Amino acid sequence: METLGTDEIIVERALSGDADAFGEIVRRWERRIFALTYGILGREEDARDATQETFLAAFRNLRGFRGEAKVSSWLHRIAVNQCLTRQRRAKVRKESALEDSSETEIATALDESPVSVVEGRQRTLAVRRALNGLPLELRQIVVMKEFEELTFREISEALDLPLSTVKSRLYTGLKQLQLRLAKFGNE
Amino acid sequence: MKEMDNSSTCERTGDLIAVLYGEATEREQREFELHVKRCGECRAEFAAFSQVREAIGEWRDEALKGFVSSPMVAASPRKSALAALRQFFDLSPLWMKGAVGFAAVAFCVLVVLAWGRFSSPTAEPPVVGGNRAAVYTKEDLDRAVADALAKQEANLPKGVERSVIEAPKPVVVASSSGSKRLNGAKSSGSTASTRAPHERRPFSRAEREQLAADLRLLSGSDESDPDFDR
Repeated sequence: METLGTDEIIVERALSGDADAFGEIVRRWERRIFALTYGILGREEDARDATQETFLAAFRNLRGFRGEAKVSSWLHRIAVNQCLTRQRRAKVRKESALEDSSETEIATALDESPVSVVEGRQRTLAVRRALNGLPLELRQIVVMKEFEELTFREISEALDLPLSTVKSRLYTGLKQLQLRLAKFGNE
Repeated sequence: MKEMDNSSTCERTGDLIAVLYGEATEREQREFELHVKRCGECRAEFAAFSQVREAIGEWRDEALKGFVSSPMVAASPRKSALAALRQFFDLSPLWMKGAVGFAAVAFCVLVVLAWGRFSSPTAEPPVVGGNRAAVYTKEDLDRAVADALAKQEANLPKGVERSVIEAPKPVVVASSSGSKRLNGAKSSGSTASTRAPHERRPFSRAEREQLAADLRLLSGSDESDPDFDR
């Protein structure tokens, strides 16, 4: 698509009735939001649903966007809320989706013959399990940094946290991941 | 939550993170590089965190490899008129929704009024005799009126002339010298008044005298006193 301007300009266009404008917002942010939801939820299917729900919620509440924060921050907040809602629902249903799928996938990976593939799969599954074991406050910052590649300032704005808190939470998150991965490696 | 559960004893964790993610300023970068040379803890953490990042990166690449655009974007941009209208209303400000609603109601009222006006019969013939099923033309109506008049005339008691129901005839007053016309009409030849008895009261004395005086003025040749019935 041709030059459309900043996210904020596109949102204004969507508000003034441009039907394609919101589609452009989705195109711009879909991958990152998917990365965020995937990082938080740990399952592709859940991440897809949460991504779609994020954009639907954003579209419904487009009028509520006042332009005080960035569109990206606004979308991230919605996405994190969607993930939390899904996790709460899953908890109510006593579903341990991650654990189930992890065990299944580890078994599947072990069935595959090349050792490197098995090692690679085991490592990614270990990362996934380690990440999902983190408290949400740490996990979402690690995901926003690693999956979405947002800057500290962008994360700070999206989560409405001081820059120093973002850095310290990221440090703590990485430290805990390091310890968990070491633990998995020893099992 | 305790922010620094696994905090380092070193104070440079902020710089470590900034350098690790390439967001440190040149000065911070330089200072941290100098610090790492003499701080084994930060050096070890930097290496460990780099490995963690590498592992996360592998998972991320694998996770996002299968990512495809969602149907909401991949779908054809063409929308149905109803969907476009719904979207327009979703995005419209409240005042615009109100204005459109008011306009829609006004339009509906106008349509109903116009329909009522154009669908009603243009010139409905009058209904005569309470029979709403019958439709009469003007000729029928005139004939009916004429018949009714004739019937009424036939039912009148004897002695009451047609003048009661027709246009009034000139009043004729009897005098000794014959009947006199009051308003120029021809005399009917009768010596009595042609008025219907129930229609007009008899003249009072004063009226008679006044009338006589008037007649005298009208007709100078007639000198005799009028002979009124008493």
